[in-house]
Amino acid sequence: MQILIYGTINSISLALFAIGFAMVYGVSRLPNFAHGALYVLSGFITWSFLNAVGMNYLLSIVLSMLATGIIGALIYQFVLIRVRGMEISEIMASYALGLAILEGLRWRGFRGMTYTLPSFIEGSTEIAGVSVDYQRLLVVGIGAAVVALLWLFTHYTRIGLALRGMAQDERAAMMLGIDSDRMAVVAMGFGSMLAALAAVVLLPLGNIVVEAGYNVLILAIAVCIVGGLGSWVGAVLAAFLIGFAQILTVVYLGAHYQMVVALLAIILTLILKPSGLFGQQKELEERV
Amino acid sequence: MRANKASFWLVLFTVLIMTLSAGTALAAKPIILGAPLSTAYLYGWDAERGFTLAVEEINAAGGVNVGGTKRLLKLEVIDTRDLEPGVPVSDALLAVEKLILDKKADFIVGGPVRSEAALAAMPLLSKYKKVSILSTGVLTPKYHAMVAEQYDKFKYCFRIHGEAKNLVGEMFANFTELKEKHGFNNLFIIAQDVSHARGAAAVMKSVAEKKGWNVTGVEIYPTGATDFSMGLLKAKETQTEIINIWMDMPESAILLKQWYEMKIPALPFGSTLAAAEQPGFWKATDGKGEYTLCNVVNAGNAPSDATEWTMKFYNAYTNRWKVEPEGLGTSSSYMVVYVLRDAIERAGSLDPDKMVQALEQTDIMGVYGRLRFDPKSHQVIPAQDPKEGAVGSILQWQAGKRVVVYPKSIAKGNIELPPWMMKK
Repeated sequence: MQILIYGTINSISLALFAIGFAMVYGVSRLPNFAHGALYVLSGFITWSFLNAVGMNYLLSIVLSMLATGIIGALIYQFVLIRVRGMEISEIMASYALGLAILEGLRWRGFRGMTYTLPSFIEGSTEIAGVSVDYQRLLVVGIGAAVVALLWLFTHYTRIGLALRGMAQDERAAMMLGIDSDRMAVVAMGFGSMLAALAAVVLLPLGNIVVEAGYNVLILAIAVCIVGGLGSWVGAVLAAFLIGFAQILTVVYLGAHYQMVVALLAIILTLILKPSGLFGQQKELEERV
Repeated sequence: MRANKASFWLVLFTVLIMTLSAGTALAAKPIILGAPLSTAYLYGWDAERGFTLAVEEINAAGGVNVGGTKRLLKLEVIDTRDLEPGVPVSDALLAVEKLILDKKADFIVGGPVRSEAALAAMPLLSKYKKVSILSTGVLTPKYHAMVAEQYDKFKYCFRIHGEAKNLVGEMFANFTELKEKHGFNNLFIIAQDVSHARGAAAVMKSVAEKKGWNVTGVEIYPTGATDFSMGLLKAKETQTEIINIWMDMPESAILLKQWYEMKIPALPFGSTLAAAEQPGFWKATDGKGEYTLCNVVNAGNAPSDATEWTMKFYNAYTNRWKVEPEGLGTSSSYMVVYVLRDAIERAGSLDPDKMVQALEQTDIMGVYGRLRFDPKSHQVIPAQDPKEGAVGSILQWQAGKRVVVYPKSIAKGNIELPPWMMKK
């Protein structure tokens, strides 16, 4: 039972880490290597609104998500747009921006272990004899809601449909009058907001540290590669695969192999099915 | 009238002497203390603040008397980043070499902080004949063992804080007390996947089993792990009573929050548990860190009356940095500067060989007790009583305060159990 409960929690946490990255890549084919940095940045922004400015917690969260979304959009509009289509340059530019954000935070004194966000609900309960805290249960609820809302958004709103159109076939979408760059800005903004949402939901479980940015990036990349780059459904499924594999590894092999699971998943996917579970990239070559 | 005239000349003479002596101190080349520290981490910045405070105090008092010449101290810090995951040891060695060659450091103090980096820096210190006193991080017993084994080569290396064997001994003294008082017998060990913590976990397991403890499990977590629930559930299932934690990564705060939220009926007892050492831990965990115990290596890093100097240092540090001493390298780094001053003044020179001799003869009452180095291994001599040697310090978080519970000679309280353990 504990494997089922903590496997689900771990999987949804991974899905939250990865969904923003998957969205940006799906729409604009841009691997946003600043994703982890935006996650940490939004944590510190929320902390600052809450503690330094003294704002209400909910308002701090909303403003932080908006601010992170705007920062993400600006990053695309002023930096990444110039290298769009040049894959190596996209990776280098976004990674450099991520580094600048993370090291800038460290330089400004955001270091140590005392930056934390309060839990939404205190306390814990027992499910079939397994102790679980309410915040983790909330992660499951919010994660499921995000996936559902994202599905509704991409199926029933004009912007969502435009984003999906871009993700499926950029040229066809452009022929139908969808502005590719504008949609890429929107995707980057939404992707960054999703990173911020993951941060405000998951960071109350621990503390806000700069190093988390690198871990989140690695996990997001692992999930997206296994799920298939650009596929949002694939990302969610891959999160469950890796999430449960990690928990099973901890239980049966040992906790120190936990990180190996994500890296092994990347290697195996690239060897056996480079396009991932639901990816379209290289699918033709694979079939041929 | 005559008395007034005499007073005038006396004042004038005093002012003249003071100006001249100050002028000499200012004119003389400063003594440079090179500190290779991982400044973004607790064990780096706490040491830097300890050094800065001592340097400021000594300079304000006129500096250090080197063979009749007053010289001021100057601190040069280079960030080694050696506590950060993925940073190679060679980076720390470059920092040490830069301090020696570029910054012209007369002494190397503080770090490198990670054991692996400090061990690798030893031949470098020998090559340049630089006297070094470690004061933060580096708990490996191998460091002073290497000095003892190859004295002529590594005689320039000293360590002024406690090492892993002291820490293990101090923790077992508490485990024994808990066994006698509450009948505890089950121990679960959680460690970070880094050299010193893995090594310490192995030593703890072996010693615990020899001492008749039932080791219910050993879990090694990778650096950066953010979920410890499965390990904690294992501890709960095996009816563990003490969870021994060896973890200096920031995520250890998550482990302690989870322990509290899940109401695991086992006492968290850590060493190098950086998150719980900091005064801000209570606020950071919303009080969920209550009952956590951690070894802060030396007295002075948490409030106690170990010596007359302990609280003077504690208060001076708090006034200077607007935060209480935070990590295991604070009081020891502060004392390095005073120990160096004492040795320089006795040696009358900065000559490394004379300094080694002078440091071997060090015998001063410091912030955490009587400070003397073992003449063969250059490790500070530990003791239970501050009058005899350097005392350690184990604290427990109780009602928002860091309460020293060990050693008994300086303790301010006793170990308390969480309410969910009292039901047992």
